[in-house]
Amino acid sequence: MTRLRILGIGSPSGDDQAGWWVIDALEDMGFSNRHGIELDRLDRPGAVLVSRLEHAAWVVLVDAMASGAIPGTIRHFDRTDWRGYDGGLSSHGLGVFAALELAEAMGSLPPRLDLYGIEIGAAGHSSGITPAVREAARALAIRLAGPIR
Amino acid sequence: MTETTRSVEIHVPVLARVEGEGALDLVIENGNITRLRLRIFEPPRFFEKFLEGHHYSEIPDLVARICGICPVAYQVTAAQALEQLYGVELTPWARALRRALYCGEWLQSHSLHVHLLAAPDYFGCNSAIELAQIAPDVVRRGLRLQALGNELMDLIGTRSVHPVGVRVGGFHAAPPVARVRELRVRLLTALSEAEALVRWAAAIPLPPDEQAFVSVAMRHAHDYAIEAGDIAASDGLQIGADAYDAHFAERHEPHSTALYSSYRGQPYLVGPLARLNLNHDRLPSQLCSLLVETGFALPSRNVFHSLVARAVEIWLALDEAARLLADYTLPDAPWVPVEPRAGVATGCTEAPRGLLWHRYQMDADGRVVNARIVPPTSQNQARIEADLQQSLLAFGLDRPDEALRLHCEKVIRNYDPCISCATHFLRLNVERT
Repeated sequence: MTRLRILGIGSPSGDDQAGWWVIDALEDMGFSNRHGIELDRLDRPGAVLVSRLEHAAWVVLVDAMASGAIPGTIRHFDRTDWRGYDGGLSSHGLGVFAALELAEAMGSLPPRLDLYGIEIGAAGHSSGITPAVREAARALAIRLAGPIR
Repeated sequence: MTETTRSVEIHVPVLARVEGEGALDLVIENGNITRLRLRIFEPPRFFEKFLEGHHYSEIPDLVARICGICPVAYQVTAAQALEQLYGVELTPWARALRRALYCGEWLQSHSLHVHLLAAPDYFGCNSAIELAQIAPDVVRRGLRLQALGNELMDLIGTRSVHPVGVRVGGFHAAPPVARVRELRVRLLTALSEAEALVRWAAAIPLPPDEQAFVSVAMRHAHDYAIEAGDIAASDGLQIGADAYDAHFAERHEPHSTALYSSYRGQPYLVGPLARLNLNHDRLPSQLCSLLVETGFALPSRNVFHSLVARAVEIWLALDEAARLLADYTLPDAPWVPVEPRAGVATGCTEAPRGLLWHRYQMDADGRVVNARIVPPTSQNQARIEADLQQSLLAFGLDRPDEALRLHCEKVIRNYDPCISCATHFLRLNVERT
């Protein structure tokens, strides 16, 4: 059983890498896949996310979000935020909340789950990187590093 | 016999659990279906026009963006067509890897459709989440198989979403031996899960709905056709990709942004059931024995058997990928040089949803003059409407509206339509004064 699994979710497009940057920052701080801790970057996992929630006591998910807040804003979601998804799964449309609903239905959620969103700027194919988002990823990595040192 | 005289109008404004934006209009007047339209209203994406002027080396990556579920189908078809025009002979190493990559796509696409999109319909569930509540182990198994498909695509194509490994002439790079060996062990281990999946799928009480239709799929001299072979039909046709236009036609219908395809003026079926109908003699003996045990008889005239066909192809994809990667070693070079020339390139492969055909007119510098892409969903569109007509009559038009609506959705989802792929270039007439 993995003690803590931190999963950065993203894609190679601009600020959509925010979740990956959190993993980069944790690795820069010296964390790696050992002592019951797993770090991983997931590229648009869809339903595959469900299997990455299993066999871990604590899973932290970090994904890019576009809520209209200032780029670089960090938000923590609890289960009340993602409950209530009401079907309509399409082959391309299985997002993080839907995957969590699916995992819950199968009893596959870990005992502890934290979901963080980092507000991003542009996420186009050739978009640049928003400095505030990169900085927020580092800040979130420092926040996560505290309890796991 | 029930006499049906009522008038019903059923409109499904947005189809759930299919990819893309489509709708269905059904009008029954005095017991007769007077209008039945699968409306595809997702905006056209002009992909063929975008390709014009682009260099051949860009085409595999550009066309991969047409679909997030079957990018490999698009890039392999494009590469195959261009390689044929340029007289490129792939190395046996690259041929094996192309097919193994394609197996990964079948594995992930079929696993997703069976478990999250189609199966809920046969267990009285409105969604995969409801199915997951009553059959968590089945869905969990499906997601494991899907994840293996993604890993195979990631390994060979360098990522699972819109892979970028394929190039005209082979691959950009060779996967490391250690990773290939590690994944191959897990592919072999998963065969028992795929066997259980086939047994589970074959035991689902699917609606009995025998219909007459022509199956169209590729056929290869000795393999189960995936990425190579001729185009064949269940009436005996067997042609090369370059003869597609002589036998198949596309037309616009006002209610759809996807083109309708016909073969000898009639709708036809492409996809996993059409493939199995034409190629069941190419299945490995172990799989044939399993099908005999389950009582799944081929060829089948019940399109609802597509769910079982996908499960069968999941087993096949696992077995085939493991076979192709058995003696994997690093090649001297992952690609062979390519020299462009002017001409017409045609190619076809079997995308998860069925036959995918490409045609490119290329100039001497290796740039696209014009392109045509015929995806499986547009080929199936007329067949879906024909199926709905027949299936609804067999189901009974006197059923409650909600039951009719659900049945229509079940019929449509069974084809795993990818509407985003199917939306097509529309002729645009501009009048200026």
